[in-house]
Amino acid sequence: MNDNLLVIGYGNTLRSDDGVGARVAEAVANLGLPGVGTHACTQLTPELADLVSKASAVIFVDVAAEGPVAHPILRRLEPAESSRVFSHSADPPTLLALARDVYGRAPEAWCLLVPAENIGFGEELSPIARRGLKEAVRKIRDLQRKRGFGPAAIPPFANH
Amino acid sequence: MAKRIVIDPVTRIEGHAKISIFLDDAGQVADAQFHVVEFRGFEKFCEGRPYSEMPGITARICGICPVSHLLASARAGDAIMAVAIPPAADKLRRLMNLGQILQSHALSFFNLSAPDFLLGWDTPPAERNVFGLIAAHPELARAGIRLRQFGQEIIEILGGKKIHPAWGVPGGVRSALTEEGRDRIRAWLPEAFATVATGFELFRRTLETHREEAFIFGNFPSLFMGLVAADGTWEHHGGKLRFTDSSGSVIADHIDPADYLEYIGESVQKDSYLKSPYFKALGLPGGMYRVGPLARLNVCERMGVPRADAELRLFRQQGHGAVTSSFLYHQARLIEMLAAVELIERGLEDPDLFSRDLRAEAGVNSPRGVGASEAPRGTLFHDYTVDRDGLLKKVNLIVATGQNNLAMNRTVAQIARHFVRGDQIPEPMLNRIEHGIRCYDPCLSCSTHAFGQMALEVRLIGPDGSVRREVTRE
Repeated sequence: MNDNLLVIGYGNTLRSDDGVGARVAEAVANLGLPGVGTHACTQLTPELADLVSKASAVIFVDVAAEGPVAHPILRRLEPAESSRVFSHSADPPTLLALARDVYGRAPEAWCLLVPAENIGFGEELSPIARRGLKEAVRKIRDLQRKRGFGPAAIPPFANH
Repeated sequence: MAKRIVIDPVTRIEGHAKISIFLDDAGQVADAQFHVVEFRGFEKFCEGRPYSEMPGITARICGICPVSHLLASARAGDAIMAVAIPPAADKLRRLMNLGQILQSHALSFFNLSAPDFLLGWDTPPAERNVFGLIAAHPELARAGIRLRQFGQEIIEILGGKKIHPAWGVPGGVRSALTEEGRDRIRAWLPEAFATVATGFELFRRTLETHREEAFIFGNFPSLFMGLVAADGTWEHHGGKLRFTDSSGSVIADHIDPADYLEYIGESVQKDSYLKSPYFKALGLPGGMYRVGPLARLNVCERMGVPRADAELRLFRQQGHGAVTSSFLYHQARLIEMLAAVELIERGLEDPDLFSRDLRAEAGVNSPRGVGASEAPRGTLFHDYTVDRDGLLKKVNLIVATGQNNLAMNRTVAQIARHFVRGDQIPEPMLNRIEHGIRCYDPCLSCSTHAFGQMALEVRLIGPDGSVRREVTRE
């Protein structure tokens, strides 16, 4: 296991604000924070469970789809009861459950939901999502400092 | 008066599907529809863009099958340039496509479908969830994920990233295989063969205990379509289109994918964004055809590699002419995984994979280009029309899930007929319908990423439109 924080940002970058999670992961990667690995992707796929199980802690960064929010929301996540996946993509609790059931360990985890207002076709973020992106990166930095994640080996396919 | 049962998998924003089962006055299933409320504005979004950007853009449509879009798009670009790509580029694209087929099939079989094989469909939902099968058989799930990782590693070694590689380009590819990359791929082969063998063992046991499912899960006559090589061998990238019927007879052959519009019509289904293609000469409903692993094995004459050919012979014993049960998509998927591993092993020794001649250069020489490639779930078409500057004027994408749409409807109806009685919606029916759809391994997420696990909402709607019964399974 690596003593690291893993940031998984996901969403479709061709769907405007829907891709803000992936863009947060890219922004964090560019900072080169010690002890922080990142993975940007369109969808959460089951094999990520392997990577998740090797991290000390994981933050899943996604667009806030539940309704309008002013600022990014950081919430604790628990593994789902079942690790059964129904399609080629999974949600964070199921991915944590897969990490637990298949690889024997589900790390401490959070979801970070970033405000959004437009998920139409396009590659630009709305002003709300742009602001949310910066705040989300700040929250990740705060968590990294507060929890003392330090230099460590980054998982093999992080920082993509 | 007709009634309607609606099964609505709740997903996020767009890109979700629901199932309606129509009952007749006697409470018997008359028909079923698999609605996809996916937003198809992507084709419009691409207009005005340079065709050369399309492989990179279309690979971002979907996080599930980006490589398939990448390769079909690159082929459409080849056609616009009117070039023959270097042999090395063709071989490298094939290697990447084999990696894509392998990784997708591995997840479909070992992680999505195997739990149903082992647990059956009659177990109560609470038990299905609480006593997670994956927790009970972690080695199977791990093996499936490892096999998927092998396929993804091939993609990563070639393209530099597992998802969305901007590696395939009109005219060829950007980079060759390295010796280090070849050695990494080679090191995976023994484990990959062993995992596929485990899959065959599991499915043989499954067939012994699931004869009813093999009989009713989408078992009906239809046409089948797929690419085949010039000599009729299984093909996944390149080749010509072939249609066969359920007796195994070839009804159209040697079709240049660029001429697909002469053979394939597209009907539009009410309440669904998913177009439903059919074989034009037979119209509807006779022109319904299936694509994907089952179809590819029905249209080809051989796999072209020994172990997969031996499995193909066993597979064909289950049909009279063609194999017509969609439950056997799973077995077809295993055979394709085996063929992929064999072809990867054989291809790795080819010196062309390390060539520096990787890309043909040309401008716009044709106003239209069509690229077809076999995606894991079936034939994928990219059809571009460009202006003199290579900017896209029109884009048409035909995806595999759309081509299987009519067959999925029929599969749902066939399963439901065995279980729906009057207003009752038995839980095992939901499990079976869910699996019936899973046989096709549909990809519904080409617009945005799905959120949340599939929940099933079942509504029984009376003739006046009121909801008479509603069952939601989280």
